[in-house]
Amino acid sequence: MDKDLLRQCLTYHGESLFNKLKCEQTENPDFQAVVSDLCKATYERGEGQGSPLVEQFIARKADILFCPSWKTTTLQEEEHEEEEEEEEATEPCAIMPPLELFMEVSYEERRSMLYRDLERGDIVVGRINNIREYGFFLTLLCMAGGLKRDIEDLELSCLCHIREIPSTGSHDDPLSYYQIGDLIRGGVKDIDRYQEKITVSLHQASLSPSLKHIKLGVITQEELPIHYSRSVRAAADSSETYEHILSRCHGYHNPSVVDYLLKKVGISDTHPPSMMRGLQSKLFQEEDFASAIRKKQSASWALKCVRAGVDHFKHGHHVEAMNEYNKALEIDTNNVEALVARGALYANKGSIMKAITDFELALESCPDHRNAKKYLSQTLVERGKQFEGQEKLVTAEGMYRRALSLDDSNPEAQEALHKITDTIQKSIRLREEALAKEQVKAKGSQTSAEKLRKILKEEKRMKKKQKRSASSTSSSSSSSRSTSSSSSSFSHRRSKKKKKKRRRRSEHGNKRHRRISSRESRKSEEGKRDTKEKDEDEVEWYPAPPNTSATFLNLKGGLEFGERQEEEGRNAEDKRICQLYSLSAASEDEESDSSRRERKRKDSRTRRWKNSRSPDKQEKRSSRERRDTSRERGKNNNRRDSDSKRRNLDENTKRRVSCSSAESDYSRKSSFHSEYSRHSGSAPRMRHDSSKRSSFDGGRCESRGREEICEVEEREKESIEGGAAEENSRSDRHSKRSESAGSQSGSTSAPQARPKKDLPANLLDIFNQIAQFEKEKGVRPKK
Amino acid sequence: MEGPSTRLCASQAGLQSLADRRDSSGDAESDPARDMKTHFRVCRFIMESGVKLAMRSVPVVTACVLYHRFFERASLCAYEPYLVAMSCMYLAGKVEEQHIRTRDIINVSHRYFNSGSAPLECDKDFWDLRDSVVQCELLILRQLNFHVSFEHPHKYLLHYLLSVKSLVNRHAWSRTPIAETSWALLRDCYHGAMCIRHTPQHIAIAMLYLALNSYGVELPVGDKEWWQVLCEHVTKADIDAVISDLLQLYDMEAKCI
Repeated sequence: MDKDLLRQCLTYHGESLFNKLKCEQTENPDFQAVVSDLCKATYERGEGQGSPLVEQFIARKADILFCPSWKTTTLQEEEHEEEEEEEEATEPCAIMPPLELFMEVSYEERRSMLYRDLERGDIVVGRINNIREYGFFLTLLCMAGGLKRDIEDLELSCLCHIREIPSTGSHDDPLSYYQIGDLIRGGVKDIDRYQEKITVSLHQASLSPSLKHIKLGVITQEELPIHYSRSVRAAADSSETYEHILSRCHGYHNPSVVDYLLKKVGISDTHPPSMMRGLQSKLFQEEDFASAIRKKQSASWALKCVRAGVDHFKHGHHVEAMNEYNKALEIDTNNVEALVARGALYANKGSIMKAITDFELALESCPDHRNAKKYLSQTLVERGKQFEGQEKLVTAEGMYRRALSLDDSNPEAQEALHKITDTIQKSIRLREEALAKEQVKAKGSQTSAEKLRKILKEEKRMKKKQKRSASSTSSSSSSSRSTSSSSSSFSHRRSKKKKKKRRRRSEHGNKRHRRISSRESRKSEEGKRDTKEKDEDEVEWYPAPPNTSATFLNLKGGLEFGERQEEEGRNAEDKRICQLYSLSAASEDEESDSSRRERKRKDSRTRRWKNSRSPDKQEKRSSRERRDTSRERGKNNNRRDSDSKRRNLDENTKRRVSCSSAESDYSRKSSFHSEYSRHSGSAPRMRHDSSKRSSFDGGRCESRGREEICEVEEREKESIEGGAAEENSRSDRHSKRSESAGSQSGSTSAPQARPKKDLPANLLDIFNQIAQFEKEKGVRPKK
Repeated sequence: MEGPSTRLCASQAGLQSLADRRDSSGDAESDPARDMKTHFRVCRFIMESGVKLAMRSVPVVTACVLYHRFFERASLCAYEPYLVAMSCMYLAGKVEEQHIRTRDIINVSHRYFNSGSAPLECDKDFWDLRDSVVQCELLILRQLNFHVSFEHPHKYLLHYLLSVKSLVNRHAWSRTPIAETSWALLRDCYHGAMCIRHTPQHIAIAMLYLALNSYGVELPVGDKEWWQVLCEHVTKADIDAVISDLLQLYDMEAKCI
C-alpha cells in the first residue's frame, strides 16, 4: 500500500475513514503493515467532512486504490510533454485555457500556486519591458511548456541576464537585437520562491529534456500558444465558458480523441483498470482471450479437415484429399498435420519438391514431428535417386546424408548412400581407365592420316554393328555410360519409349565406336576387314530423306536436357530411316551438296547443325534451334544444383569446343580451309564439281577425322588438368566428362557418317551414287 | 416485432447451453431488484468479454448502453439477455468502428459459460448461434429505432483530467493515480442503467470528483468550484446522485457475483 497516498487521504477525510479502514481492511496484511504509522497522523479536519458512503467506498476499495501497481501514469508522464508542439499544430484533442481562469481563483492564491509549481526548465512567454546593460526584463504573459497556468494578470516580472542571451559572434552586444515590446520565449532558469524572483534564459540548454525542441528567443504574435489566445478571448467574453470552448474545439470532435488522450494520460485500454473485484486484470487468463481460443479452434477445425482428407486419401480420392488439406491450411496456415499430410500426398503424386517444401514447413513449426521427419527422410531419398538419375551424384549423396540425419534408421537411405559412394568411387576408377585408353588412342591415331581413315571406317562399322544389336540394353556397358544413359533417360522420361531405345542404341554406337577406334589405332592391320565393313556401311548408312525430318521433329516434344547422344542418336536414326526408305545415296549427296552451298551462304548464322541436308532444311534448323533452347533450359536446370555448377561449366566449355569444331567443319572458316587444302589439295574448288566430289570428300573426311582426334586430345588434356580437383566433384566430373567425351566423338563422327558414306575410295559407292544421281537428274533439276 | 422475436426464440434453443448460468429472472413477476442484478451480471459479462475480445473502452460501453437501452423498452422475460449482450457487442463494434467477429464473440461467450471447455466445433450448433447473434442484432436495431450512436462521458472525462491536472502540482499529480481511478470508475458505472440516466458530463465530473475525493486531493477554489466551471448546470446534488448510484453498483457486486 502506498503509505503517503493513504496518509494524504486520511488527512483529507479524517478519523472516520481511518476507523472504517481498520474495519474493512482487517484481513489485508498490507494495511496492517502501515496501520501503526497512520495512527500517528494528525487529522486536521473534524468528522463528517465527506459523505459516509464515500468513506465506506474508500475503505472497502483501499486495497485497490492504494495499491502501488494501480498507478501506471508515473513513467509515461515525461514523454508526453514532447508532443506539445505537435499538438498545437494538429490539435488532436481540445486545447483548453487554464481552468483557474474560469474558476476566478484569487490573485494571491494563483500567485502562490505559480511560485509553488513553477520549475526550472519550464517555458514562459513574456514581453520585454526594460533593457539594461546587464540584461532585459520581461513581463510574463503565459506559460508555453511544462506548466499550464493563467499568469497574465499576475504582474510577474523576470530578468534575463546578458549571460543568458546567446551571442551570435559578429556583434559584441547581443542586447542590440532586442527591443522593448518584443515577445520573448524563454526557459525558466531559476526561481527564488521566497523573494519571488524568476530568472529566464534564452539558452536551449536551460530547458528540461522533454522541451528541448522548442526554440527560444523572439517570437511573433502568431507563435503564442493556442491556450493563451483562447484564454484572452474567454477573459474578454463572459459567454465563452469552458463547455462552450470545449465543444467548439477541433480536437474535441476528433473521433479518436479518446484513444489519443488515453495514451497521453497513460491508461492502458487493453487492460483497463476497474474497481470491481471481478474485473481485476489479474483474473483474466490468457487462454480465455479471443485470439487464443480462435487459434485453438482453427487448429481443431483444420485437424478435422485433415482427417477428412486422410479418409479421402485412403479411399484413393486424391483430389478430394488435396482439397481438404488445402482447406485445412486455409483455416490454419502452417498447420503441421495438414502440411505433413499434403506433403505425403505430393510425394505420392511425384511432386517431390512440393512435398519436401511442405515437410520442411511442418518441421519448421514443429521440429520434432515424427512423421514429418520420417516422410521428409523418405522423400529426400527419392529426390536423391532423381539426382542420381540425373547423374548429380554429389547432390544425391547430400540428399541421402540429409535423409539419414533426419531419420538415422532409414534403411533405404543407408543403402542408397552406400551404393552411391560405391558408384562414385567406381566411376572415378573407370574414368581413369577410360582416360588412359583415350590417351593411347590419341597417340596411335596421330601416326598417319591413312590410319585415321581406317579408324573412322572401323568406327562406323562398329556403330552399325551396334545398331544391329540395338535391342540389347545398355546395362552391360561401363558404369559411366550407364549413368549417362540413365540421366538422359530421366530427362526424357516423358518422351516416347521408341526414341529412348534409339538413343540408347546410338549411345552404344558412339561408345563402342570410340573404344573400337582406339583399339583400331593399335591394330592397324585390320584394315582389310575395314574395307569390307565399309562396304556394308555404304549400303546401310544413308542420310535421312527430307520427309523423315518431320517425323523426328515430332518426337522432339518434351526435351529437357537434350544431350548430345540424343542428337547423335537421331542422326543415326535418320540414317537408318533413310536406309529403310532406300533412298539413293546420290540424291542425298546432291542435297548435301546444295545444302552445303547454302550453308556457305548463311555463314553468318550462329547455329550450324550437321545434318542439314534436306530441302526443308530451314524448318529443320529452326526445330533444332528450338531443341537447342530446350537444351539450354536443361542446362539451366542443371545449374540449379550448386555442386554440379562447376561440372556444367566444364561441360559447357567442352560443348563450345565441339560446337566450334563442328561449325568449322561445315562453315569452312578460312583457317579450316587452309587445313583442308593441305589435306585434299584443290578441295575448295572441287567442291562444286560433282564428278570429282568423291575424291575431295575422301580428303575432307580424312581431315575431319584428324580434327576429331585433335579434339579428343584436347579434351583429354583438359580432363587431366581438371583432375586435380577435389575427390568427389572430380569423380562426378569424370563421369560426366566421359559422357561428354563420348558424345563429342559421337557428335563429330555422326555427321562424318555422311561424308564417310560417300567415301570416294570405295568404287562401289561411287557407282552406286552415279547410278542414283543419274536417276535423280531426271526428277530434279541440278543446283 | 413479431417476426424477429419468434425467429429468435427458435434460435434461442441453440443458445440454451450458454444460458445455463442465467438465473430465473425470466419469471413472470418482474422484480426490479432482481432485474437489476441480472443486468449487472450481463454487463459484467459484456465487460469481461470486452477485455477478452480486446475491445477498447468506448465500444464496450457502447455495447452496455445498447444493452440498457434495449431492456429499457423490452422485458427481460421476452429476450435472452446474454444473447442480447452478445449482439450488442457485435453491433457496438460496428458502431464504434472496431469490428468484432461473431466467431470470436461466440467463442469467448462459450468459454465464459463453460469455463475450461474446448472451443466450439464448426458444426450446426455453431452456425445456429451465429445466426441468433445476427438476428438479434437486427432486433436491437429495430427496438432502438436505429439510434445506436451515443455520446459518452469518456472524452469529457479525459479533457477534464487534463484541465485539472494543470491545476495540481505535477509531482502531486504523478504520485496520485487519479486518471486510472476515474477511468476505472467510469467503466464500472456501466454495470447499471445509471449510465443512461445521467448526462455524460455529469458522469464524467462525478467520476473525477470521486477519484479526487478518494485520494484527498484538494483543488484551489475560486468564485466557482472546478466542477461548476467544467459544466455549467451541474450541481452538487447531481454529482452526489451519480456517485451514490455508482456506489450502489459496487455494493451489488458483492451480492451478485
